[in-house]
Amino acid sequence: MAAFSGYPRIGIYTGGGSSHSWLWFADLFERLGFWDLCFLDEAAVRQGALEHVDVLAVSGGDTFALAGALGCEGAGAVRRFVERGGIYFGSCAGAYLPMPSSKLPLNLFNFVDVRIANLASKIPPALRLREKFYTRYGCRYVFHPVREEILLGLKSKELLSSSSTIKAPLYGGPAMLPGEAVKVIASYKGFTEKTVFLTEEETCRITLIDKAAVVRCPLGDGCFYLFGPHLEHPRYPEANRIVGEILAVETGTRLPDGEEQSQTTAEPGLRIRSFNSALRRELGNARIVAAAMEFLNVRWIIGAKCYEPEKLRVFIEAMWRRLPLVEKNIATSENAEQLLSLGARTTHLLRELKTAVDEGRESDRLASNLFRVLRDYTACFLHLYFQTIKSLETVCRGKTGRLNHGLA
Amino acid sequence: MEYLSSGKILIVDLASSETREEELDEGLISKRIGGAGINNYLYNSYKDYDPIVLGAGILTGTLYPASDLSVLTARSPVTDNVCHCPVTLKAGIEFKYCGFDYLVVLGASAKPVFLWIHDGVADISDGSGVWGKDVWQTTDAWRRDMGDDLIQTLVIGKAGETGSDLAQVSVNYWGSGDVWGFASIFGKKRLKGIAMRGMGLLEIEDPEGFVEESMRLLESVKTGPWKGRSGLYDLLVSLGKNDVADWVAPLVHRNSASYNVPYAGNTFVYLDEDPSLLKEPQGAEPGLLLTSPYGLIAAKDMGLSAMDACRLIRSCLRYGIDPEMVALIASRDAKKRREDIESSMDSLERKGMKPWRPPFSPMVPRQPVFADFGVEGEPGQLEQWWLQRQALAYVFGIDPLFLIMSPELTAQSMIEAVRIGSGIEISEETLDGLVSEICGCN
Repeated sequence: MAAFSGYPRIGIYTGGGSSHSWLWFADLFERLGFWDLCFLDEAAVRQGALEHVDVLAVSGGDTFALAGALGCEGAGAVRRFVERGGIYFGSCAGAYLPMPSSKLPLNLFNFVDVRIANLASKIPPALRLREKFYTRYGCRYVFHPVREEILLGLKSKELLSSSSTIKAPLYGGPAMLPGEAVKVIASYKGFTEKTVFLTEEETCRITLIDKAAVVRCPLGDGCFYLFGPHLEHPRYPEANRIVGEILAVETGTRLPDGEEQSQTTAEPGLRIRSFNSALRRELGNARIVAAAMEFLNVRWIIGAKCYEPEKLRVFIEAMWRRLPLVEKNIATSENAEQLLSLGARTTHLLRELKTAVDEGRESDRLASNLFRVLRDYTACFLHLYFQTIKSLETVCRGKTGRLNHGLA
Repeated sequence: MEYLSSGKILIVDLASSETREEELDEGLISKRIGGAGINNYLYNSYKDYDPIVLGAGILTGTLYPASDLSVLTARSPVTDNVCHCPVTLKAGIEFKYCGFDYLVVLGASAKPVFLWIHDGVADISDGSGVWGKDVWQTTDAWRRDMGDDLIQTLVIGKAGETGSDLAQVSVNYWGSGDVWGFASIFGKKRLKGIAMRGMGLLEIEDPEGFVEESMRLLESVKTGPWKGRSGLYDLLVSLGKNDVADWVAPLVHRNSASYNVPYAGNTFVYLDEDPSLLKEPQGAEPGLLLTSPYGLIAAKDMGLSAMDACRLIRSCLRYGIDPEMVALIASRDAKKRREDIESSMDSLERKGMKPWRPPFSPMVPRQPVFADFGVEGEPGQLEQWWLQRQALAYVFGIDPLFLIMSPELTAQSMIEAVRIGSGIEISEETLDGLVSEICGCN
């Protein structure tokens, strides 16, 4: 593990079980100026990649599928990583993952003394979005009383300098009952006009209000930070700031005064025109089909999660908006061939999926395959992107420093 | 060029299968504004390579009312003049949002190809799979293969492939204002067509000001004399063709507008479904979209029933041939049966038929429609007025039909919109000179 000699190296989990929300972590760290990012699938975790990172971010998705993908070896790797001083950020499914469970394979990840508050033997009546309301958990149910925006009350003054109340979105994340050693950073405080109640409001209140929403759980020399709501969501800068402050405090770095965009003032480096052109071509082709899919009345059940066509474009747009910078400075990249191959595969699968939907054929399996390839494609692209940023940073560092992002 | 534009000219050399990009210089826009103005410049720059030029107007794809137009420019094999074909519906703006303002196609390919232009990428793709297919099959194939029903096409049918000078480039399925045999130039180049999809954005220098001015103009045109009218029916009535309007009316299913055009000037007729149907039809191809009154008028003059006339027009659209000219030739040759005409499409000849010589398409009536422009008087005044209105449309990228309905859309308002949108000042003298040049550019 790097010992924070500079900026923390952050691993973002992109493997099996993760949804598109790992992209929000990538966006957030980029905005905060933490560019030493790598993207890890389950194989990388099992093969020791956590030995080379300081922070591991595990986003939303399907908790059972996360645990299944990482398996026993992955669980051991995560445990050792934290015990040796690593910091684990788990959001939504990533927060459920290290909580105690008796169910295989979740029981491989019993790392923290935090219980789920939104667990019931009998599910309350669903008022809407039934497909997103609950997940089976053995003979019980994890249910999600509200979605969208909720209010959080911040509890940890010594850790956080932000205001006492913030808003953040909740998409199935846990309400938590912490054990003794667990520190509550924020709790659920109330609802807003944007809160969507999936069951009766009183049930929502009883289930959520005053329960822990963000907790810190120590283990060995490191700790787990579990986020019920998506503090990393791109439309919630106040919540983003909390993640940044936690990261700064835990890694001994200092946040910039304000959010800054990745610099784009560097002169273009060596251009590999054919690569750039091929990269844009495939991404453009994929983007067009993905946008067309949004007109279709279809959704896919993959594992325990429901996916809509809009999620396809979340991945693609995450690459598309970063393309101009990648095109500016691309020296020979070790993963160029892989990237182009994944791009072509993505376009092919998207077109195949659209044809299947147009023809009324079953498409869950195709969609599942596509989302897996899209995750790999996006991770591969972002790897190149952050390589590019870092190389541009080297050019600019003398002029601007690292986005005024000096070490403490 | 930073605003109202992608700032790029795409050059495609079919002979070498190479593409390259050139910057669109702001100085060129100051002098030649856009659309047909810059198309002419590009045509002349590459005239030794038999170019086809596709260009967007400087206001194309914006909120300026009726800003739906791109322009296809080439030398007509029929008249030997450089002419401009309007590209409307959604295709005109799609091109602009593809990441290029202008496309110049040079040379000829050794094998059938098509251009696939999307988001700043231009691919010369293998066209052998669609060579020999009709216009509708080709558009369907491209949309299916590329996975998006919003892909817009400029495409030729068998008529263009075989070099007929009656051949017409088609915008999607529905023909176009090409009366100069442009499709045969595509065929000679072995270019089946151009598929376009753009998800780009346009930057505006003063967005609030531009929206405000566009909305003000829209409000003023909405009170115009075309208010309450729509489709080919009212257009035919305004031309004094009430009999044609009533004859086709029972087939009319709906009217539709091109991008941002306040007047719904296109009419969809149902041939294989009940025109009163208000839900999705069972059949994939229930009818056709009529984008010009003149094919209908010529077909009625032949003595066909409305149903047979529309079926004949549909066959023409699929074959990629000018429906009006087919009907006129059939009348000349005393052919009365639709089936006889359809079976002889590959042998129809223009001989003796007078070609259309002005540089703009006659799909737009040569007189004011609904509105009073104060031009009915002096001999030649009407023709001059029409040419000038069309030139404005083709330069700025405004729908050429709507411009003969809306006196509120003046040259000054277009100049002002360009100034607000891009910061570029265009003098009236510059515009007048350009309009004169384009109107008499032959």
